[in-house]
Amino acid sequence: MSTGHSGQKELEGWIKPPNPELYINPLPVRIWHWLNALGFVVLILTGIQIRYANLFNVLSFETAVKTHNWVAFTVIANYFVWLGFYLFSDKITVYHPELNMRKFFDKAFKQIIYYSYGIFRGEKSPHKVQPYDKFNPMQSITYQIVMLLVVPIQFITGIMMWDIKRFEAPIAFLGGIRSVDTVHVLIFIFFVSFTMIHAYMGALGHTPSAHFKEMFTGYEEE
Amino acid sequence: MNTKLQVLVIDDDAVVGRSFDRVLSEKGYEVSTALSGEEALDSINEHDYDVVFTDIKMPGMDGLEVTERIKSRCPWTPVVVITGYGTQENEARASVLGANGFVRKPLTPEMIENITLKTVSDAAKAEVPAQDVEHMVEEPEAVNVNEAEAPKRANSMAKNIGLFFASPFIALGYVIALPFVGFYMFAKLGHEAYSKRHTNS
Repeated sequence: MSTGHSGQKELEGWIKPPNPELYINPLPVRIWHWLNALGFVVLILTGIQIRYANLFNVLSFETAVKTHNWVAFTVIANYFVWLGFYLFSDKITVYHPELNMRKFFDKAFKQIIYYSYGIFRGEKSPHKVQPYDKFNPMQSITYQIVMLLVVPIQFITGIMMWDIKRFEAPIAFLGGIRSVDTVHVLIFIFFVSFTMIHAYMGALGHTPSAHFKEMFTGYEEE
Repeated sequence: MNTKLQVLVIDDDAVVGRSFDRVLSEKGYEVSTALSGEEALDSINEHDYDVVFTDIKMPGMDGLEVTERIKSRCPWTPVVVITGYGTQENEARASVLGANGFVRKPLTPEMIENITLKTVSDAAKAEVPAQDVEHMVEEPEAVNVNEAEAPKRANSMAKNIGLFFASPFIALGYVIALPFVGFYMFAKLGHEAYSKRHTNS
């Protein structure tokens, strides 16, 4: 039996990874990401125009509403690209929760200390990005809540307000149009903040453009 | 041969074990996981494995010590050392300890499959006449995948989807608990510092 006692000769046959780069973001995720980013920017801008029509008038109210609706349905359809990819691929584990609470809090506090202190001293992130473990604990809980809770709520409230008459009953069930509208606007404010923070965090790679480049190539840079 | 080839993956990061399970289960291997060297050695006392993969950097017993202990108990068991901290020194040490392979993270599904196949094949070549080797290595892929594995895969998919949709609610729980746990940790650190100072004075 070959047990590796013969030193150098044994090392020759050992297998090494051919490429040091990591393929983290497959094509469907990248397509979804950039379409979603573009859609969100348009939704935010047209949303501001619809909500604050009396403050400025870049688009007519009617054009803003029509654009908002069409882009919203495109973003909803795009969401199902994302959902389908993760549901039917082994990458679904990227969105799995950490069930070991001790391990989660240990890693989460290390990440918080890194974000609040270590990052400004040029230290390396305590989280090592891997194809099946691409999010650090803080990203993980944020994206789980955003993608599987906040985004669907925004879609549902948006669809209800798109055709108030048709969705009269569910709107009444949720406390009336004022409640549905409030939820939609609060989530809109959240997304404005999220988009800015997301872009800022995206610029914190080893070079300012590293993470942006990764979302085009799919490969994590080491 | 109808029994599946047994694979043990030792890594304190459960994601690694799950990755091996996902890749190799579909190919007809039976994958077990251990989160520490101690747990792995207990498992090896009770079961025979056809190949063992071990991470190097783990709390407690590290992968090289695990390799040494496995090789001293059952030298016929092939051990492949996997690590994100690959150095020439580790490679040399692993080789001296009798490891059958050494591979650096990140591992792609193809790499996992190829390494497993190669290691099992090498071990089989060393133990049986040449004409039987091909038979031993090819069997696990062919037999069980479509029949016995189908319900297991359906279960695994249901579990994956269940965890996926449960994740935002578990995450909300973590978000709510985070400041309390943080406060507890600060209080604990303060208490320890106070106790230490009190004892010294």
